[in-house]
Amino acid sequence: MIQGNSLRYYTAVLAGKTASFILKKVLKGEASAMPGKVAMQIYPNILQVVDQRCQKKILVTGTNGKTTTTNLLHHIIKSQGLRVLSNLRGANMPQGLVSSFLNHQDAEYDWGVFEVDEGSFQEVVKHLKPDYVVVTNFFRDQLDRYGEIEKAFQDIFDALKPLDTTLILNADDPLVSSFKSLKKRNIFYGVGENQFSTLEEGVIESRFCPSCASRLEYDYFNYGQLGGYHCSQCGFTNPPREYEITRVEYSDPGYHLKFKTENVKSMDLDFSYDGIFNTYNCCAALSVALEIGMETGKVIESIGRFEYHLGRMETFQFPDKLVKVVLVKNPIGLGEVLKSLSLDGKVKSLLMVLNDNPADGTDISWIWDAQVENILQVNNLEKIYCSGRRAEDMALRLKYAGQSPATLNVDYSMESALEKVLNEDVEIAYILPTYTAVFHIRELIIARMRGSSKFLSYLRESLKNIKLKG
Amino acid sequence: MELKIYHMYPDLLNLYGDLGNITCLCQRCEWRGIKAHIIPFSKDREVPLEEGDIFFMGGGSDWGQNIVFSHLLGYQRIMEELIEDEAVFLSICGGYQFLGATYIDAAGNKVRGLEIFDYETVSEGGRLIGNIITKNVLGLEPETLVGFENHGGRTYHDQKPLGRVMVGYGNNGKDQKEGMVYKNCIGTYLHGPLLPKNPHMADHLILKALNRKYGLSKLQLLDDRLEYAAHHRVLELYSPTK
Repeated sequence: MIQGNSLRYYTAVLAGKTASFILKKVLKGEASAMPGKVAMQIYPNILQVVDQRCQKKILVTGTNGKTTTTNLLHHIIKSQGLRVLSNLRGANMPQGLVSSFLNHQDAEYDWGVFEVDEGSFQEVVKHLKPDYVVVTNFFRDQLDRYGEIEKAFQDIFDALKPLDTTLILNADDPLVSSFKSLKKRNIFYGVGENQFSTLEEGVIESRFCPSCASRLEYDYFNYGQLGGYHCSQCGFTNPPREYEITRVEYSDPGYHLKFKTENVKSMDLDFSYDGIFNTYNCCAALSVALEIGMETGKVIESIGRFEYHLGRMETFQFPDKLVKVVLVKNPIGLGEVLKSLSLDGKVKSLLMVLNDNPADGTDISWIWDAQVENILQVNNLEKIYCSGRRAEDMALRLKYAGQSPATLNVDYSMESALEKVLNEDVEIAYILPTYTAVFHIRELIIARMRGSSKFLSYLRESLKNIKLKG
Repeated sequence: MELKIYHMYPDLLNLYGDLGNITCLCQRCEWRGIKAHIIPFSKDREVPLEEGDIFFMGGGSDWGQNIVFSHLLGYQRIMEELIEDEAVFLSICGGYQFLGATYIDAAGNKVRGLEIFDYETVSEGGRLIGNIITKNVLGLEPETLVGFENHGGRTYHDQKPLGRVMVGYGNNGKDQKEGMVYKNCIGTYLHGPLLPKNPHMADHLILKALNRKYGLSKLQLLDDRLEYAAHHRVLELYSPTK
């Protein structure tokens, strides 16, 4: 039995909270995994306390979509008036989970919804026993951290084996759907063929059958290796989807969707985030919410109202333009974000920030695996700025994608690059930073907004004081 | 003029942005009005190799490399003939290791290579990862080649290397050698990808192929300011003097 009230436990919590305080208030940093790390040093079993305090637990893992799916699920469950604990900020290793707990520490939660890094999954489920596990997809991520998606796949597969849990699986990713061989209770979700589906194959994804290694045949691709597939050798194919998005329409901002379930023939749904990858995230959260018995109407309503402020996907309203920041961190994500830009007809400029710090991946070669060629389909794009430690590499990638070098501008300084992109006479500025650049860019934008609102209030005051003749 | 560029196993050997080498070769041909045909070759997608001008083979995951290897053994002779006949080969990482005689894995098992060259690669535990800068021995200007390496295997040979290591590990982290050159066949551990930031290397391969096919001895110059800016940025960030 874990003592949730031992002296050692309280010391751990206190130390963790002190670390968090110092980090936030003194160093003005992002509260992240560090406080949890401190607490775990003193009380290694603290994750088991988290386990006990949450009545039911949902873990979200896979390469892409963990943070969005977790935030959306948290939002839906919370909207129903339930108590829910989550690591909302993307710190998804054991220490990060503990940090989220240190910040709140209620005696009891109805739900714990946690995103878990693929590499940490095995460690986390030793302590945290999930009622549901959502597996989103397997793509290649920051390369020098894992190298191979087969390893991530195998790690999660092995960790799931002994668990008594329900799997919520993406039916459209052959690797994920092959988890049905684990013979757990499986719920499949996915996105049917829609107007954005294509028959064009990307080059880099693995499209071989997970059960017999023959080449998979595709009827359509939604993105990467996600789509409608079958193996002509062994019959491996998409399992029937219990929850399915059947129609996808662009409606600035975001998508208008239709979905069906075993019980519901067709329902409408709005989700304010672009990109087919977000349609998948939305579908994952929707599936879990309905599966755990939430009322359909209320779930649809809270999905429609969902927004989050993390810098991963965030929109800022400036007086003369919209500024949209979208984190890009791996090839599939970058390609898909550029594709979603092509749906936006507004006059726009673009700032791409490429860093090669450890958290970004020190190997920036991944930008060459991304379908950057999608940039050529983006209309009304006035200028592209490239910044960050490896600004030239980004510009070079764009050049070889076929973008005219005359439209490309390199500026190492994020501050002056941002200044330039904000001064462009456009309706919308898109900013696509890698991981370590997101926080910096966000700070710079917010500082700019404060600056401009100060200017506006100054202007308003001045106008008030103008005395008109007569 | 036209070149046939064979992309070997694009769906299995596709790690670390190596695809960028194909993009680079293709664009630098097209910008000069040379037609570049990219021909994918893979398991269940076999096409005759004889007509190829440039062959590119990258590295993959263990899973991918195992599939490739058992398949590629059936093409050992034709590959050897092409290399002897001065066809242009660029083999990176796993592709480079394949061309050798043996690969000794972490458990000490000997895996036979294509045996086109007699070198050996040994998995010695711990991966060699990081930015790499070498000085090429082909006489290309500028002298430096920049890239990123990420390999567990150490390759040992007495072949002519592609470069001398200035920063990073190279073939094995011991003898300062990086890569291998035999006729127009180049093996290397440089990802990055190699060619876009080393346009002199890219043009070297294109010119060798055009020379073999059309007797051409000079290439039209391109505006490579951006390419060399990226090249110099790596030197600036990762040179030992900094």
